[in-house]
Amino acid sequence: MEDGEIDEGAMVVDDEDAQSAVQLKIERSAHEMLEESKASVEDTVAKILSIKKEGQPKSLVRELVTQMFLHFITLRQANRSILLEEDRVKAETERAKAPVDFTTLQLHNLMYEKNHYVKAIKACKDFRSKYPDIELVSEEEFFRDAPEDIKGKTLSKDSRHDLMLKRLHFELFQRKELCKLHEKLELQKKKLLDAIANRKKFLSSLPSHLKSLKKASLPVQNQLGVLHTKKLKQHHLAELLPPPLYVIYSEFLAQKEAFCENMDLEIVGSLKDAQAFARQQANKDTGISTNVESSRLEDDAPDEEDDGQRRRKRPKRVPSKENLDQEGLYQVHPLKTILHIYDDEVSDLKSAKLITLKFEYLLKLNAVCVGIEGSHDGSENNILCNLFPDDAGIELPHQAAKLAVGDALTFDEKRTSRPYKWAQHLAGIDFLPEMSPLLTSHGAPSGETAKSDAVISGLSLYRQQNRIQTVVQRIRSRKKAQLALVAQLDLLMKLRWPAVTCESVPWALHNPVCNLHGWSTVGHQSIQALSLPVVETEQVRESIDADMNGRSGTSKEELESAREDGELPSLVPSASVTGDVKLNRLKGSNHEHSRQLTLISKSLVPPISKTKSQSFKKPDDDLDLMLDTDSDQDGPAYIELESENTATQYYEMGEKSWVNYGAKEFCLVLTRNMDTDQRIWKLEAKIMFGMEYPLRPPHFALSLYNKSSGGNHSESDGSEWYNELCAIEAEVNLHILKMLPVGQENYILSHQVCYLAMLFDYFVDESSRSSEKRRGISVVDVGLSKPVSGRLLARSFRGRDRRKMISWKDTECNSGYPY
Amino acid sequence: MVLTIRGRNRHDGPAYDIKFYGHGEDTLLLSCGDDGRIRGWRWKEFTNSDVPIPLQGNQVKPVLDLANPQHKGPWGALSPIPENNSIDVNMKGGSIFSASGDSCAYCWDVETGKIKTVFKGHSDYLHCIVARNTANQVITGSEDGTARIWDCKSGKCIQVIDPAENTKLKGFFSCVSCIALDGSESWLACGRGRSLSIWNLPASECVSRISTRASVQDVLFEDNQILAVGAEPLLSRFAINGAVLSQIQCAPLSAFSVSIHPSGVTAVGGYGGLVDAISEFGSHLCTFRCKCV
Repeated sequence: MEDGEIDEGAMVVDDEDAQSAVQLKIERSAHEMLEESKASVEDTVAKILSIKKEGQPKSLVRELVTQMFLHFITLRQANRSILLEEDRVKAETERAKAPVDFTTLQLHNLMYEKNHYVKAIKACKDFRSKYPDIELVSEEEFFRDAPEDIKGKTLSKDSRHDLMLKRLHFELFQRKELCKLHEKLELQKKKLLDAIANRKKFLSSLPSHLKSLKKASLPVQNQLGVLHTKKLKQHHLAELLPPPLYVIYSEFLAQKEAFCENMDLEIVGSLKDAQAFARQQANKDTGISTNVESSRLEDDAPDEEDDGQRRRKRPKRVPSKENLDQEGLYQVHPLKTILHIYDDEVSDLKSAKLITLKFEYLLKLNAVCVGIEGSHDGSENNILCNLFPDDAGIELPHQAAKLAVGDALTFDEKRTSRPYKWAQHLAGIDFLPEMSPLLTSHGAPSGETAKSDAVISGLSLYRQQNRIQTVVQRIRSRKKAQLALVAQLDLLMKLRWPAVTCESVPWALHNPVCNLHGWSTVGHQSIQALSLPVVETEQVRESIDADMNGRSGTSKEELESAREDGELPSLVPSASVTGDVKLNRLKGSNHEHSRQLTLISKSLVPPISKTKSQSFKKPDDDLDLMLDTDSDQDGPAYIELESENTATQYYEMGEKSWVNYGAKEFCLVLTRNMDTDQRIWKLEAKIMFGMEYPLRPPHFALSLYNKSSGGNHSESDGSEWYNELCAIEAEVNLHILKMLPVGQENYILSHQVCYLAMLFDYFVDESSRSSEKRRGISVVDVGLSKPVSGRLLARSFRGRDRRKMISWKDTECNSGYPY
Repeated sequence: MVLTIRGRNRHDGPAYDIKFYGHGEDTLLLSCGDDGRIRGWRWKEFTNSDVPIPLQGNQVKPVLDLANPQHKGPWGALSPIPENNSIDVNMKGGSIFSASGDSCAYCWDVETGKIKTVFKGHSDYLHCIVARNTANQVITGSEDGTARIWDCKSGKCIQVIDPAENTKLKGFFSCVSCIALDGSESWLACGRGRSLSIWNLPASECVSRISTRASVQDVLFEDNQILAVGAEPLLSRFAINGAVLSQIQCAPLSAFSVSIHPSGVTAVGGYGGLVDAISEFGSHLCTFRCKCV
């Protein structure tokens, strides 16, 4: 077709030349012309085809071919004009393209430049300065504090930057200043350290100076009585004490300092031995720590350097000591605590020393023993017996010790110091009573038992706080009583009437007519026979307990508490019957019962207030009880034992009883010569008292003899005067307690002897006097000189039991009332 | 028997004697003592009471309470209240006889509580009294050593019995501490010190006189025999003629009282609140001790 078009084009050009008239038309719309020519060609072809098909004449075709050619020429022209037009448009486009290219290039350049700048800006933006990390002073502070030369300078045009720079400068400036200060201070510190080191050196050298000073001051201390060094030494020794003794030492010391108790404490014994012992103990306990221990000990004893040097040789001897350990059950710790007790009532500055106790610790038996320092005979030692009920000190306090001793259940009595229970309590060695407290109240209903138990435990808790005070108080009163007793016994030994200073009792006013004929100590055998009344006493107390029980539970507790504190009952006389076996059994069980009671009580120590009020003043409820018993039973109780059988029974009981430990018995003989019928009345009184005097007052057992002065034969009138003797015994043993003035307790023996003498006088007088008319009192009113009507009859006796009445006026006693 | 009754409503001090008054439901227990009072208690209240014995003292109240008069001295001074040492009763007459410490015996009317008669004449205080109701008499024994027989109607002393007459004084002056009448009320036993004398009252004659080791403190007739106790642990049995029939050991070392039950059991009360019950054959039945309540 291309060829065809070119052909046609050529033809068109030909046509163009030919047909310039229509050129405009073609020019304007060559494409329309092309379209039209194409359509007319297609029409002509279609007409030719139809003529050929229809077989029409060829003429027609000629015409048509001419027309066709014409159409071809126009076609060519059209094509040519189109091509020309195309060339022109192409050239035109080429011309327009050059500026576009240039502009594009320019655009690219600009874009590149822009990117470059953006990058630079970003890099600038990302730049980090150091200044935010530096802590700067705040702006206000800067303006306030910065010096002018920093503030005045202008470092940058930007005001903010300028400010920041200035602030940084200021900061630098400040920091430099501080560095300088720091250096200066360091210097000062170093100087001070030097000074301190110097002074330390001085201080370390000071103790030796002081020690020499102390040594030099010793004579002065002794001179002035300031025993500072001694005290220090004691404290050092105290550290080596075995724990029980240490407890005793510290407790007593505290008591002394807190209450200004009039006593002194010291520790005696060899320091070296004690240290050796302590080391030995440490060896046993931990095999390793020996060195540490000993070095510590050496540190503890800077004073004893010379000792320390010698001690280094000692450890060799320790093994030999160990052998010794096995030998002696009674091995004693080398250190002992000595306690001096002074009289607390003397107002002088230097009060008399009453007694000195020595506490020692038995290592094997774990018991603390107490003895009287400076005395070695047994009688002195007994002073500490029964300070509290059932504490004679002849029995080892705890079961463990008893087992250790083995067969010999009692403590070696030959030793001067004994393991009293109170000493164990003081030393903090608490132990259980051998029998359960519950057992003792077997008869009581369980509720009450529990209650009383609670009461007891509460009491014990409370009371244990006052152990020391109580013990010291007791020892003091015991010693005073013993001193008073010895004085009284001395007087009696010399057969002189004891002096009774108190004036408010009748026997002090009475001038004895009878003679103090004899006073002698009675051997040991009869003591056991005489232990009977004590046993009975307990029995009677038991029965009273039961009575109280019946009345009210509380009163029973009161009673028990009154007794628990070791307040021993004063002798309550009782009737006794020995004929019947049944009765004896009754007594036995009662005795046991009371023993159990004391077992409870032994662990309790009374509060001091109680002791004060009770030990010197008989407790009121006890008094009441005694009143009860005596008015019922009308008299006292000792009677000669009838049958050998019962006597031995009591013998056994008496031996067991702790009450009689260390008891003494004396025989007092009073005689009265009757001039009228030449007869001699002889009153023999067996007086027994235990270590608890005067808590348990001496017990008098009377027998009466009556002989004519001519003949030698003396007949016992015991049964004939039985009622009278009983009455006298009751008076002397029991009723005297009610009349005894306060403060005279220690002299109760004197009072009793005087009272006995007076009663004996009256008895003899009455018995010898023949029937006597009753005296009456008649009075004359002197002014009226006529008798005032009315008479009062005087009587000497009253009641079916013929109780004697004694009245006294000022300094004289008489029988009968009104007198 | 010496016994003690104590408590709020009871005697102040020792009680010396008790006696029953009346029979059956209305029986009164009379007691007297050192406080000079005679008190009567309803026996039924004691026996029927279900209150435990220790508490009875506070609950049972005496239905009778008689107090001895006090003697007037110069300027209105009053003597101490004399004690009652012994009582006896005459139920027919409604009387209580008391032996008092002011050397008088009193006859009290139970109904009115007043003193009907005063028997005055002894020179010292009275220890014992027995009523001889068949003859309307009372017999008293005194500290002055004599016993007297009084007529209740007149209040006069009929006879003075001096057990010590015709005997020399033996050292100690003694009082008439106990007297007893036998069932027929014609025999009188009178204990004075260490002797016991038996009197025939119709004949007013001393039949026999017995000496004892210790002073006699209580005496009792049992049929034709006399039981006596004293300040020794012995219960003695005598015949009227003074022969010793038996002597039995008893528990109290000093016996204050003896009494006998119709069954023949003897009770001896004595020192220390001890009571010994002895069978008619002389064996000890039991021994017990009275306790303070």
